[in-house]
Amino acid sequence: MTDTITPTKTINECGKICPYPDVDTMTTLKKMKKGEILEILIDYPLSVERIPRSAQKSGHKVLSVKQLDGPTHSILIEVLGLK
Amino acid sequence: MTAILSGLLVGVLFGFVLQRGRFCMNSAFRDIILGQDFTLFKALAVAILVEMIGFSIMAMTGVINLAPKPLLWGANIVGGLTFGVGMVLAGGCASGITYRAGEGMMGALMAILGFGLAGMMAATGVLKPISDFLQTTTKVMTTDGKALTLANVFGLDLKVTMLVLAILIIVIWVALFMRNKSTEATFGEKSKSLGESIFKRGWGWLPTGIVVALIGMLAFPLSAAAGRNYPLGITGGWINIFQSLIKWQAVVDGNVKVTALSWEGAEVLGIILGALVAALIAGEFAIRAPEPKILLQTFVGGLLMGAGAFVSTGCNIGHILSGVPQLSIGSILGGVSIVLGGWAMAYFMFIRPMNS
Repeated sequence: MTDTITPTKTINECGKICPYPDVDTMTTLKKMKKGEILEILIDYPLSVERIPRSAQKSGHKVLSVKQLDGPTHSILIEVLGLK
Repeated sequence: MTAILSGLLVGVLFGFVLQRGRFCMNSAFRDIILGQDFTLFKALAVAILVEMIGFSIMAMTGVINLAPKPLLWGANIVGGLTFGVGMVLAGGCASGITYRAGEGMMGALMAILGFGLAGMMAATGVLKPISDFLQTTTKVMTTDGKALTLANVFGLDLKVTMLVLAILIIVIWVALFMRNKSTEATFGEKSKSLGESIFKRGWGWLPTGIVVALIGMLAFPLSAAAGRNYPLGITGGWINIFQSLIKWQAVVDGNVKVTALSWEGAEVLGIILGALVAALIAGEFAIRAPEPKILLQTFVGGLLMGAGAFVSTGCNIGHILSGVPQLSIGSILGGVSIVLGGWAMAYFMFIRPMNS
């Protein structure tokens, strides 16, 4: 099901060190409109687990977390939060 | 040889758990103020509490002799703050950069280079006079020449105080937890086999904290048997590895001796190996690097961490994971300084830019 979702915006956080992927995700989410979908490409295991946690806490909806190639993951978040 | 093998064994186990639990104190402390995420902090708190109980019982039964580090307040504060600033630049604490090198992260490797280089400079090079000055002029011991602990400043027995304090904190924590119930976010939790939980998924904070503590308890007597009476450490290990690599000649009792790999050095090499194995099994290993500017940043961060840890006589592992459970006031002060340095740097680098 999640395969059919087209993200509104994709950010590539591969290779980045702690906590740049988290900071980039949160600042990008803040700039996006409700209903839009952000895709985060990321290969840092700690943030792969932390980003869904913090996105959910800010009121957004985590649609999927998928392992692509090796440590690289794709996280899909639907913007819902008002913060 | 046995010392090297036992250090390596402890390190491999530690590295495996660090990678599985994503256990990093830079994140543990920074996430408190950036995103109000307490996951890793809770893992750390569990590790410290379980170690307090474990070390206490092991000391009561004569398995280990407790070895709290002395209070060198000037060195603990200056070194701790420097280390704290450095770990934010490096993107990981001393154990964090070590296990991430095993995941193939080049930023972590650059930080390690800086860490070892500055550690050596503080141990034997240009930074030694500053380090010596801070350590000797601000040393405060008990009247009978022992390291100050939260126990002996009140005239209490250290082993008993550790045990009672840990149980007290655990009881309060559980009581608070029962009142608030768990509101933790769970996402994508599908039923999974034990093997998958251990080898493929990241660990939760509770198992991570407990297993880290168990490895600390294993490390203490094994390290003591090798002539180093202390639990887990990182700083001394990295300095030892770098000195062994350059065949550093130290003068020991008037004789020139080429530095050989120590228990702690073997432990640190083991961490990289254990993390590498864990990352390979989970499919999380890949050689990857951030942009050159960030590589330089992590190197500078590593330099500050190495110098700071040596001056303070401990990094986040030596002070916070191994020293705080022994209630060493020097380690508590060193640890608090690391946290404050880290918070200040995280505020300027991430929180202020995000809010503007």
